[in-house]
Amino acid sequence: MNISLKNVSFSYTDSLDNAVIKDLNLEIRSGECVILAGESGCGKTTISKLINGLIPHYNSGCMSGDVFLGEKNTADMTLAEISRCVGSVFQNPRSQFFNIDTDSEIAFGCENMGMPREKILQRIDDVVKEFRMEHLIGRNIFHLSGGEKQKIACASVAAAGPEIFVLDEPSANLDLKTVADLTEIVGRWKKTGKTVVVVEHRIHYLREIADRICYVKDGRIAHEWTPAELEAKGAEYAASLGLRCVNLNQLSEVERSKDLSKRSTAELQVFKDLYFAYNRKFPVLNIPMLTLPRGQITAVIGHNGAGKSTLAQVLCGLCGTWRQKRKARKYGAYLIMQDVNHQLFTESVLEEVLLGMRPQNEKTALEILAGLNLEQYAYEHPMALSGGQKQRVAIGSGVSSGRDIVVFDEPTSGLDYRQMLAVSATLQKLAASGKTLLVITHDPEFILNCCSNIIRMEHGKIAEQYPLQGNQDKLIHAMLNV
Amino acid sequence: MFAVPAILLLFERKWRFVLAFFSVYLVSVFGFEYLKTIEAGLAFSLVVSTMMIVSHMMPITIVLYYVMMSTKVNEFLAAMARMHVPNKVTIPLAVMARFFPTVFDEAHAIGNAMRMRGIRLFSLRTLANPFSILEYRLVPLLVSVTKISDELSIAAVTRGLSPETKRTCVANVGFRVQDLIVFVYCLLVVVCYVFPGLTGNLLAR
Repeated sequence: MNISLKNVSFSYTDSLDNAVIKDLNLEIRSGECVILAGESGCGKTTISKLINGLIPHYNSGCMSGDVFLGEKNTADMTLAEISRCVGSVFQNPRSQFFNIDTDSEIAFGCENMGMPREKILQRIDDVVKEFRMEHLIGRNIFHLSGGEKQKIACASVAAAGPEIFVLDEPSANLDLKTVADLTEIVGRWKKTGKTVVVVEHRIHYLREIADRICYVKDGRIAHEWTPAELEAKGAEYAASLGLRCVNLNQLSEVERSKDLSKRSTAELQVFKDLYFAYNRKFPVLNIPMLTLPRGQITAVIGHNGAGKSTLAQVLCGLCGTWRQKRKARKYGAYLIMQDVNHQLFTESVLEEVLLGMRPQNEKTALEILAGLNLEQYAYEHPMALSGGQKQRVAIGSGVSSGRDIVVFDEPTSGLDYRQMLAVSATLQKLAASGKTLLVITHDPEFILNCCSNIIRMEHGKIAEQYPLQGNQDKLIHAMLNV
Repeated sequence: MFAVPAILLLFERKWRFVLAFFSVYLVSVFGFEYLKTIEAGLAFSLVVSTMMIVSHMMPITIVLYYVMMSTKVNEFLAAMARMHVPNKVTIPLAVMARFFPTVFDEAHAIGNAMRMRGIRLFSLRTLANPFSILEYRLVPLLVSVTKISDELSIAAVTRGLSPETKRTCVANVGFRVQDLIVFVYCLLVVVCYVFPGLTGNLLAR
């Protein structure tokens, strides 16, 4: 089924004066795989919402122009009708489930279409075989990893058998191995003649599948390339447009030329007996000794379920025995969570920084904020800030409570190139001020940009630990084959 | 009355849960029956009234727990559709059932963040300003919960959930012998309550 957007403008407000989408024309042929790329806030997600009918049926705003799916105008269809031909997968694996168990989730779309029971069971069977996910059947979705959840989301959309798939930053929360599964899934859809639209700024995993990359800027399509064309222009060109690298092998060549000698080893900080188990026989985390170079950034890599998050929690005294928690308080580790919304409590940015400070001193607090480029927001409500600013407020609250070790849980998931560089700069500044940083991440570009040490975890243990210098290829290799 | 959810929970293999709650229930029921005859001070009557509340409220809570734990969202929707309850009533209920685990998940993460900041439930500062603790807990919870509820409804509508269309269900949902047994038993209990003279009060327990 082809998609065509004709002279579409859209604004989330009442008038088209500051429209997100401006007079957009886009033709996507049946069976094509198109990537909508661009920096955050450029309007690419809005385009995906125009295709899956959330605009104009769910999000209100001001719209002109028409969107056609095949011959039909989406404005004349109901959302239920649109959902029969367009399947959508979203960014956040946590909140795109309506059911609590995996089986019902896969059946959900089919049930809503009123398919007979036998046919649904047949569909589930087919999809499970196709996605090779027999082990995920009959499980509680809350107990699955992010990658597994995203796989279930794809499967449940596929089971309903739509002609068009719209994916909104599906790779944002996934490790590279799971991203490879996603590549396979999209490839299979394309092979069976489905139309696939992917909103992304990570292009590398679809480089061999996508027919076109449409670069969206200010609500218009500014450039169009084939993946090969974009790759030929080089990594620096893509970076200048805010896109992540097109080819991960290209990445190691560019970044290898960087001088890493400044990131040499320093004084070490030692942690002993990091252990956690739900069940005595299978410890989730078992690290007799962990050494971190003081004043530097150490990356923790490893596939989902290797114990990375548990390590962060134990270090910060958020799980484990009473004795472990008391010991953790002595380490003084502070966690910046993936969802920073969870750790901002107060009514102003300044208050947020003062909250953990002993003794409270407004002048020092303002200095900390200035160091994080937040001084002009000191009296704003933290929830009114952008994602990156919120993250910096959380960092500020950690610094003000006098912690020496700051642990980050995937600080760059879902960020475009420019935002990633900003986070990386903040972290480097923090490290330069003498803090020890531990970063859990799946983002090779980010690691090459600012980390000096790598820890690879496997089955709750440290599999290897090495300096980044001279080991860039090893890192990329490890991340692609975890 | 407690017997119904207890037996149903045993079918779901929740041995320890049933044992724990059954003992608490028994203690409060018999404790209340025995102690209510004694007249004593305020503290004592507080204990007795707590026992009364527990013995009255517990069966209801346990039934709710059982329903939440054992019924899948789609089964619930199908059963309600069979009973000709309109979709406009059942869909919001189904969303609520999906929502509770999410809220607990979020609340747990927020609790962790508070512990890291050294905000404890009982400290000099929170005692001086007891509402602050409420604010610290609720503000982030509300923010994340509104965001999640929006994303959840988007996930539901893009997959075709709508009050107008008729759903099917993969699970076999129907009224069977087991349901009849439970239904008749509950009916009997209700009758015994309304006409206590017919049978002893014991069956009602």
